[in-house]
Amino acid sequence: MESDIEMELESDNDGEYDDDYDYYNTGEDCDVERLDPKRADPEYFEYDCLTVEDIEKLLNELVEKLNTILQITPSLAKVLLLEHQWNNTVVVEKYRQDANALLVTARIKPPTSSADAASTSAAAAAQLLKMGSSGYKAPPAVGGNANTPPYRSQMCPVCASSQLGDKFYSLACGHSFCKDCWTMYFETQIFQGISIQIGCMAPMCNVRVPEDLVLTLVTRPVMRDKYQQFAFKDYVKSHPELRFCPGPNCQIIVQSSEISAKRAICKVCRTGFCFKCGMDYHAPTDCQVIKKWLTKCADDSETANYISAHTKDCPKCHICIEKNGGCNHMQCFNCKHDFCWMCLGDWKTHGSEYYECSRYKDNPNIANESVHVQAREALKKYLHYYERWENHSKSLKLEQQTIERLRQRINTKVMNGSGTWIDWQYLFNAAGLLAKCRYTLQYTYPYAYYMEAGSRKNLFEYQQAQLEAEIENLSWKIERAETTDLGDLENQMDIAEKRRTTLLKDFFPVAV
Amino acid sequence: MSSLPRRIIKETQRLMQEPVPGINAIPDENNARYFHVIVTGPNDSPFEGGVFKLELFLPEDYPMSAPKVRFITKIYHPNIDRLGRICLDVLKDKWSPALQIRTILLSIQALLSAPNPDDPLANDVAELWKVNEAEAIRNAREWTQKYAVED
Ligand SMILES: [Zn+2]
Ligand SMILES: [Zn+2]
Ligand SMILES: [Zn+2]
Ligand SMILES: [Zn+2]
Ligand SMILES: [Zn+2]
Ligand SMILES: [Zn+2]
Repeated sequence: MESDIEMELESDNDGEYDDDYDYYNTGEDCDVERLDPKRADPEYFEYDCLTVEDIEKLLNELVEKLNTILQITPSLAKVLLLEHQWNNTVVVEKYRQDANALLVTARIKPPTSSADAASTSAAAAAQLLKMGSSGYKAPPAVGGNANTPPYRSQMCPVCASSQLGDKFYSLACGHSFCKDCWTMYFETQIFQGISIQIGCMAPMCNVRVPEDLVLTLVTRPVMRDKYQQFAFKDYVKSHPELRFCPGPNCQIIVQSSEISAKRAICKVCRTGFCFKCGMDYHAPTDCQVIKKWLTKCADDSETANYISAHTKDCPKCHICIEKNGGCNHMQCFNCKHDFCWMCLGDWKTHGSEYYECSRYKDNPNIANESVHVQAREALKKYLHYYERWENHSKSLKLEQQTIERLRQRINTKVMNGSGTWIDWQYLFNAAGLLAKCRYTLQYTYPYAYYMEAGSRKNLFEYQQAQLEAEIENLSWKIERAETTDLGDLENQMDIAEKRRTTLLKDFFPVAV
Repeated sequence: MSSLPRRIIKETQRLMQEPVPGINAIPDENNARYFHVIVTGPNDSPFEGGVFKLELFLPEDYPMSAPKVRFITKIYHPNIDRLGRICLDVLKDKWSPALQIRTILLSIQALLSAPNPDDPLANDVAELWKVNEAEAIRNAREWTQKYAVED
C-alpha cells in the first residue's frame, strides 16, 4: 500500500472501492480539501455499522438516563422515547411543561375530560409516574382505593367468568380484565407482529400496554422472544439515526447522525443503500423522485418491454449487431462504422462538441396539440428516459462480465510469468471507477425526466452529456485495455470521475 | 370438538332472552359457533321494509379475533360488496375482545341507517352514492323490494 492514511480516510465512506482508491485523491486535490472531506466529496458520508448488541446498549443508555431524570420505569421510558425519536431532551422538556399531556399523547394515560380536574394537573401525572408502577395496576398494588377489593369476586367482560379480584389487571384507563384473557390477547397480538403498539382490550380505548405488563403475563419463551424482537424492530425504526441493513439476512444496523440520501455500505454483507429511504443508492435523484420513477417504471413495464432489445441493425450496412459489452460506442464488425447504440447516430458527432444523445427535445408547440398527440408525446418522452436508464443498467452488468473475462485473461498472463497481479491492478481500479460513474449516470435519467424545462435543466443535461461521453470513452478503453496506454487510461479515469463529482456537487441535494 | 367457552354460552343465552329490536340471531342446531341472523331494514332508510339474512361465525380464537359476518340477501350499499362482505371497522382493526355479537349486529344495523360512501367496499355503489345520492337511494329501495321483501 502506498498511502495508509489515505486508505483510512476513504475506507469509512466508500468501502466498496476500498482497495482501489489511490487515483481518487490525486491531481489538484489540496490539503485543505483533504481536511474537510465534505467539501471535497459530495458523497462523503460518516456512519457506523453496529450489531444488535451495540444498539441494545445504546438504547438502554438512553432509557437509563431518562429513568434517572424522571424516576420512571424502563418500560415507560421506552414508550416516551419511542414517541419522541429517542430525544431525551425533548421528553424531559415536554414532561416539565405538561406531564399529563405528554402521557396522553404517548398513550400511557387516556385523554382526560376537563371535568376531571385532579388528573389534568401535572401533579397527578407525576404521581402516576412516581408510583413506581408502569401505568398498570397489578393486583397486589391495588390497595385501598381500588374499585374492587382483591378478595371480592368480579366478572371479566371477555371470558364472562367470575374470578377473585386478585386475578385482574388494568391499565391507567381503569379497564379491568382477568389475567388469562390479557395473556391470550397479548399472544394473539404478538402472533400478528404487534408489540409495543398493543392497546387496551376495551373497545375504543387507545391506552398502550406497557412492555413490563406483557412480559409479566406472557410466560411462553417463544412468545416472549417474538415480542422482544418485534419491539426491538420498532425501537430501531423509530430512531431517526438508525437503519436496518437491507441486505438479505443481515443483522447489522447502520447509524449516522447525518440523515440524508447518502450511500451507506454495510461492512458485513457489503450491501449499499440510500441511508434516508433504504432503497438502492440513487444520487443525484432524491428519495421522492426515485420512488415516483420506480413506481412509474413498474406500472409501464409492458410499454417499455419492446425496447429492451439485445440486437439492433447497423445504421450503415444494416447487418444485425448484438451488444455483448457495456460500451455504447459500437463499431460494426462488418463495415467498421462507428455509431451510438442508444440513438444509432454517428459516433463522430457524439464526441467533444455537444453530446445530444442524452437530451430529450420537447416539442415546443405541444400545448396546442390534440390530447392524442400530447399523450403520444408524453409516452415518447418517458421511453426516451426509460431506454437510457435501462440501457445503463444493462451496461453495468455487461461491464461486470467484461471484468470477469479480463480477470481470467490476466490470471493466465500472470501464470505464464507475464507481469504480476500488482502490475495489472490499475485495470481493476479503472473498472471499479467505470462502474461507479455509470451507476451515477443511470440515476441522472430519472432526475432529468422530472426536471422542469429551463436553464437549470439545460445545465444538468449539458453535464450529463459530458459525463456520458467520458464514460463511454473510458468503457471503450477498458474493453481494449491490453492495448491502451496506461497514461491515457489514467487520464480518462480522472476526467470521468471529475465530471461525475462536478455533477453531484451541483445537483445532488443532500443538505440536511 | 372442544367444549364451548363460557363466554359464547353466556352471549347466546342473552341474545335469546333479551333480543335486540330488529335483530334476530339463532345458533345453528349442529354448530353453536354458527348463527343465522336476520336484520330488518331500519325505518327512514332505503332498506325499510326489507328483511336481510346474514350469517355469523365465531372463529376458534373468538373473542380474541372478530366474528365473521356476511350478508346473504343481496343489498345495494356502499360498504357491502356483491359477496355480502361488510366494510366495518369493528370487524377489522377496531375489534376488541370486549365487544360482543350483540354490539356487532347493532353496528351493522347502524350502517344500514347511515351508509358511509367515503370508506367504500363496493366502489361503483359508493361512487354513485357520492355523485348522485338520490339515484343511489332509489337503487337501494329497488333492490330492497326485489331481494329483501318476501311476497
Ligand atoms: Zn377473562
Ligand atoms: Zn382501556
Ligand atoms: Zn449488511
Ligand atoms: Zn433515498
Ligand atoms: Zn455496418
Ligand atoms: Zn447516441
